[in-house]
Amino acid sequence: MSSFLTSSLMNNIFGGLAQGVIYSLVALSLVIIWQSTHVLNFAQGAMAMFATYVGMTQIDRGLNYWWCVVLSVCVGMLFGGATERVLIRPLYGKPEINPIVVMVGFLGVIEAVTTGIWTSTSRNIAAPFSQIYFKSGGKLVLLSPFIIFQIILAVAIMMLVALLFRYTRLGLQLRASALAPEVARLLGVRVNRMLTIGWMLSAGVGSIAAVILASGSFGLFPTNMDGVFVAGFIAAAVGGLDSPVGAIAGGLIIGLTEQFVLAYWSPSVAPLGGMIVLVAVLMVRPHGIFTKSVSRRV
Amino acid sequence: MNWLVQLRRQETTPLRFLSVLVLTLVAIVVTFLLPPVANSQLAGGAAITIVILGLSWLIGWSGQISLGNSGFMAVGAYAAGIWAHHHATTPLVFTFVLATAVGGLSGLIVAIPSTRLRGPYLAGMTLAFSAAITPLAQNFSSVTGGEGGIFFNTLTTPTWFQHLFSGPDATINANAQWTADLAVVMAGVMFFFMANLFHSRTGRAMRLVRDNDVAAELMGINLSRTRTLAFVIAASFAGLGGALFSLINATVRPETFPLTLSITLLTLMVLGGIGTLSGAVIGGIVYSFSSNLVSHINSLTGVNPASNLGANMQGIIFGALLILTMLFAPRGIAGLGIKLVNLRHSRVRLASDENVN
Repeated sequence: MSSFLTSSLMNNIFGGLAQGVIYSLVALSLVIIWQSTHVLNFAQGAMAMFATYVGMTQIDRGLNYWWCVVLSVCVGMLFGGATERVLIRPLYGKPEINPIVVMVGFLGVIEAVTTGIWTSTSRNIAAPFSQIYFKSGGKLVLLSPFIIFQIILAVAIMMLVALLFRYTRLGLQLRASALAPEVARLLGVRVNRMLTIGWMLSAGVGSIAAVILASGSFGLFPTNMDGVFVAGFIAAAVGGLDSPVGAIAGGLIIGLTEQFVLAYWSPSVAPLGGMIVLVAVLMVRPHGIFTKSVSRRV
Repeated sequence: MNWLVQLRRQETTPLRFLSVLVLTLVAIVVTFLLPPVANSQLAGGAAITIVILGLSWLIGWSGQISLGNSGFMAVGAYAAGIWAHHHATTPLVFTFVLATAVGGLSGLIVAIPSTRLRGPYLAGMTLAFSAAITPLAQNFSSVTGGEGGIFFNTLTTPTWFQHLFSGPDATINANAQWTADLAVVMAGVMFFFMANLFHSRTGRAMRLVRDNDVAAELMGINLSRTRTLAFVIAASFAGLGGALFSLINATVRPETFPLTLSITLLTLMVLGGIGTLSGAVIGGIVYSFSSNLVSHINSLTGVNPASNLGANMQGIIFGALLILTMLFAPRGIAGLGIKLVNLRHSRVRLASDENVN
């Protein structure tokens, strides 16, 4: 058993899963926005990164780690809601390039402002969990208390989101306004408010991903979510932008792929591995694995 | 102004050639008046103009959103750089043709899976491409020089041109201006190509594919071939622009082509006007003198340019400009210009109508 745990195969699986849950969270947050407003939020990573900066730098002022996490998520949610209200609302019904361009511009602004305030130096956020790997029979197992915490937190958040959408009144309203906004409005759902709430939820989930990333060995710096956003997008596209389950599965697939490319080829080509998976999947199913194929209305 | 509008309607290839020639000559005359620093900036702007022409064609005319054009630029730049590094004596034209061809080839490779995708899927896919291309360049460091990149010095000023200059800084002035003139001429040539392409059969097919792909298919247009062609053309323009950009800087490095370059390209294109030829030129000019603009804004707002915030002012301004343009003037500066001309034209017509009555 112990030799099994320390084998390079298992270590790569652990590493891939740990990275994959972060991608899953980002992909999930993209899918929530996509479902409600049909916008691919290119600033998702940067918004979460900014919220993490605001929240987690409060550690320097003596605030407890957990309160900082809560603060980051709250800041992220407020930021997400405000973004929807100010930048996205005027663009509903416009060509689909308009929101993409606006969010790409927003990405640039956020990263520049963050670098302007906090400099581009990477900083470490000390999580209350050790990052030292476990050992079994003198050999390393690529798991640490922090990585276990990371996986548990991510899974918990995914389950919370699933429960919210499936079993609560708010979740029903959110699904209704995404599926049939006109009917939902007639039945008394405040659709506009639901869109804002959708963005808030999504930004909250994204912030959790950024907090986990910043607390680990990766560190916090203004562009730290760039690569994660691209991987998260690939994950969402592989699973299908309409499918939350697909997003989570896609995240794990991309995480594992990158880990294996990194281990058996070279770290610098890891992003290419994800792209090849994306190309392969989209060649077969242009709308992702987990979506029902849709016929386009002419 | 009336005759101008009339002229625009009856545009033909010789007329286009003439107007591009005049504009290029005017730009060359301007390079004689500018200081060497401004000339170097202008050269970079001309290279960027070529890239934006391709991007504008791809996004504005074929309706396919690409965030990968910085990746195509990198491909062209590396192709030119690697070739020029090993074969310094090859004529410049050949290096540029090579960069264009390799850029186009990379466009073809990306297009084959991408043209089946729409909107956000396509944007994300091309973003993933440009994110993957620079790590790839670093990986094959024996060919690409890794982080440090490749240095080469292929742009040599001919002696007859140097004789035009005198004084203590003659060589510097001559080199800067030769580079600028070369870049301007290339931008002019590519502008002419693109102007013809816009008004060609392919261009019209492209617009129909963008606006109504079902109608286009019924007209007998091969959708995937047309979309792929749009990508290949945009990528070869980007490849050429990237090669020119690197030759001006005499070096190719991964850090020249970050993800933010794609944002910058998009900003310049949107600011100039999506799908317009003049928009690409406006974008290139804005790029040339953006650093002057940023330092001007820094001094206006009292931000210390050496401070952390001052150093990031460019990113903030570019991003904000992109958002504001898209929200309030989605057709950009060129669109505003066309609107003004049309407004004036309709006023003139109204006035003449009243006279008749």
